[in-house]
Amino acid sequence: MPLEIAFHGMLMPGLLPVFVGCLVLMVLLDLAFGRLGLYRRVWHASLFRLALFVCLFGAAGLLLVR
Amino acid sequence: MAAVSDAAVQAPRRPWLGGFLAGEGRAWIFVGKTMLAMYLGAWLAMWLQLEQPATTMITVSIVMHPHSGMVLAKSFYRALGTLAGSLVGLALMGLFPQQRELFLPSLSLWVALCAGGAMRYRNFMAYGFVLAGYTAAIVALPAVGDPYGVFDSAVMRVSEVLLGIAVSALVSEVVLPERLRPILRQSARAHFTGFLAFVRGSTAGSIPREAMQDAQLASVRAAVRLEDLRASVIFEDPEVRLRSRRMRLLNQRYMAAATSFQSLHHLINRMQRGGRAAVAAALIALYRPLAAALTPPAGQAGDGLDALVPQLDACARALPGRAAELRAGLAGDGERMEFDTGAALLARFVGELADFVATEQALRTGAAVRGGVERVHFSRSTDMANAGLAVLRTFLTMLALSAFWLASGWAFGASAMLLATIFSGLMAASPNPVGSVLHTLAGYALGMLGAAVTVFGLLPGSDGFPMLVAGTLPLLLIGPYLSTRDGLPGVGAGYTLGFVYILALKNPMVYDPEHVFNDAIAQLGGLALSGAAFMLLPGLAGTGWQRRRQLRQLRRLVWLAGTAPLAGLLWRFESRSRDLLLQAVTHTRPGSAESRTLLAWSLAVQESGRALIELRQDLAAGGLAPAARAAGEAAVQAVAALYRWPDAARWRAADRAVDTAIALAPPRPRNHLYQLRSALRDDESPLVAALRAAPPVESADAA
Repeated sequence: MPLEIAFHGMLMPGLLPVFVGCLVLMVLLDLAFGRLGLYRRVWHASLFRLALFVCLFGAAGLLLVR
Repeated sequence: MAAVSDAAVQAPRRPWLGGFLAGEGRAWIFVGKTMLAMYLGAWLAMWLQLEQPATTMITVSIVMHPHSGMVLAKSFYRALGTLAGSLVGLALMGLFPQQRELFLPSLSLWVALCAGGAMRYRNFMAYGFVLAGYTAAIVALPAVGDPYGVFDSAVMRVSEVLLGIAVSALVSEVVLPERLRPILRQSARAHFTGFLAFVRGSTAGSIPREAMQDAQLASVRAAVRLEDLRASVIFEDPEVRLRSRRMRLLNQRYMAAATSFQSLHHLINRMQRGGRAAVAAALIALYRPLAAALTPPAGQAGDGLDALVPQLDACARALPGRAAELRAGLAGDGERMEFDTGAALLARFVGELADFVATEQALRTGAAVRGGVERVHFSRSTDMANAGLAVLRTFLTMLALSAFWLASGWAFGASAMLLATIFSGLMAASPNPVGSVLHTLAGYALGMLGAAVTVFGLLPGSDGFPMLVAGTLPLLLIGPYLSTRDGLPGVGAGYTLGFVYILALKNPMVYDPEHVFNDAIAQLGGLALSGAAFMLLPGLAGTGWQRRRQLRQLRRLVWLAGTAPLAGLLWRFESRSRDLLLQAVTHTRPGSAESRTLLAWSLAVQESGRALIELRQDLAAGGLAPAARAAGEAAVQAVAALYRWPDAARWRAADRAVDTAIALAPPRPRNHLYQLRSALRDDESPLVAALRAAPPVESADAA
């Protein structure tokens, strides 16, 4: 995966699409976890969501941009 | 002795002290979170080598709010507004790179349209519109002298703004979040139990019109408030987002039940006044078992909600049998027909009440909603005249500023325009814009003073980020603290904005007193000009003209109920009539003649409009003789036209059309027609009063 991608002549960081993809994945996970009631079982729901997002984005970024 | 007097002094002080400390604690948590978000944003902006960390700080100061759901809602719409605004800024710059005379008016027009959009959509969507205008201005204005730099400037501004949004959302979500969800749940429950208690208390018989109007106001306020809260909480909590559609359904079912309830009571009241006491007594007797059905069985945990639904269903099943019994006791066809109308209305009300309670129960337990979840929307009603006025006002303000800028070659014209952009949009929706601008102006001036002291007194000689924080923190935290005081609206926000603008944090920092004071004067000028525009072209809010317009719009809803396509009409009618009433009533004094008139009209509109919709559903269901169908449709048209253009001739036409239709109609539509006729002839209704006041002789004859 390139570090920078050209979009209509503009250079954008290669991580941007990864970030957007992770956001979409996060929304889907949110839906699923909300339906299962998982967020009621964790101590700090928003911290958990943030940590989950950081894990997702970190893993995807490290795997794709090497 | 001393110990006794000590205790006497100490005892009453504690509750006061406790309350004070709790309030202060919340305020300081908010101040701490704002400061954390601001400095974190500034540090990240410097680390990422963005041009103006100040923009990030300004974004944080605009977006931060004590409740995290509000911050997320604001952030979401602000991000949308920022993206749209930067694209427009780029497009305008690309169209008119060399012609300021064309560029500035078109920018003014864009900003003005955004201000109008902010008036059209209240809630946080309004905010997105304000920011779309503002971002177009911050992207394009600094690049006026250097059109080639506009793309880089746009990228920088958007990055800074989005960084600020992300940081404030993160901090308010993760650090000691204060949630809106408990407030939503609490007010929804209070509202639910309040309504049930009101219904229970009213089964004894009639309710005076005044009490009815007060109840109407309270219930309308609750319905709109719940919708507003729901729109913010869905950003904060994924579980609430899942239930959002169900909460909408609950609110709509509540509104439907409340309208049926009022219609029923109006009907009973009219019977009592019109010498039909026997029918009214029979209806009240039919109605009484509802009180028992609404009382949860003793000794049950919680509020006994589980038992209520079967009780209500049983009550609904028992209704026809009881009605037949009571009907047999009445003499004469006329009385029986009146009784049938009331009994049908009561059956509808009990059914809706049972649906409402079942939805509430489903919401609490997470079970499936019976009857299937229908897609419903809370439809708002807005006055386009007000939005148009905001567009005109903002356009003229911006045009005046740009003309002055072009004619004088003022170096700081861009700053003045920027400030005018923000405040003409933000303040347009406030109930007293001139007062708000004055408050903000005072706060802004104070903030700039504080920033000047900081920049020239404390910062020179400081080195590194910790010293920057240490130098700016003491005077900066006054702003967020002031914004937690309810007595000083706008001052805190003005202070923070003014401080951050003048601080103009850069990396490396620039110290230029001349620039600072020129900028300060330009910004105050822009802010003052937007205030002057509000004085010259005051908003319509609270004027008699707007009230008359709103009243006309309210009456037009009956026309809507009589003519619009039936699909989803019921929900649209119920929510729009409430939204409109609340907008109109906010600007009247409680208990004044104007507010009474509005409430009376809204009750009449809801009763007639709802009856029209039910009647149209009966007609659409088919199975009617063509003559009866035609007569029914003629009656619908006549009543709708009467509410749209009320006068004595139309009243007589509507009365005659309804009479003809009653003679031809089978029982089901006849009940609704009968209810319509009874509402038309209601001597306490504002409709009849208005007709009587206008042409005195004719309508008195007709009635």
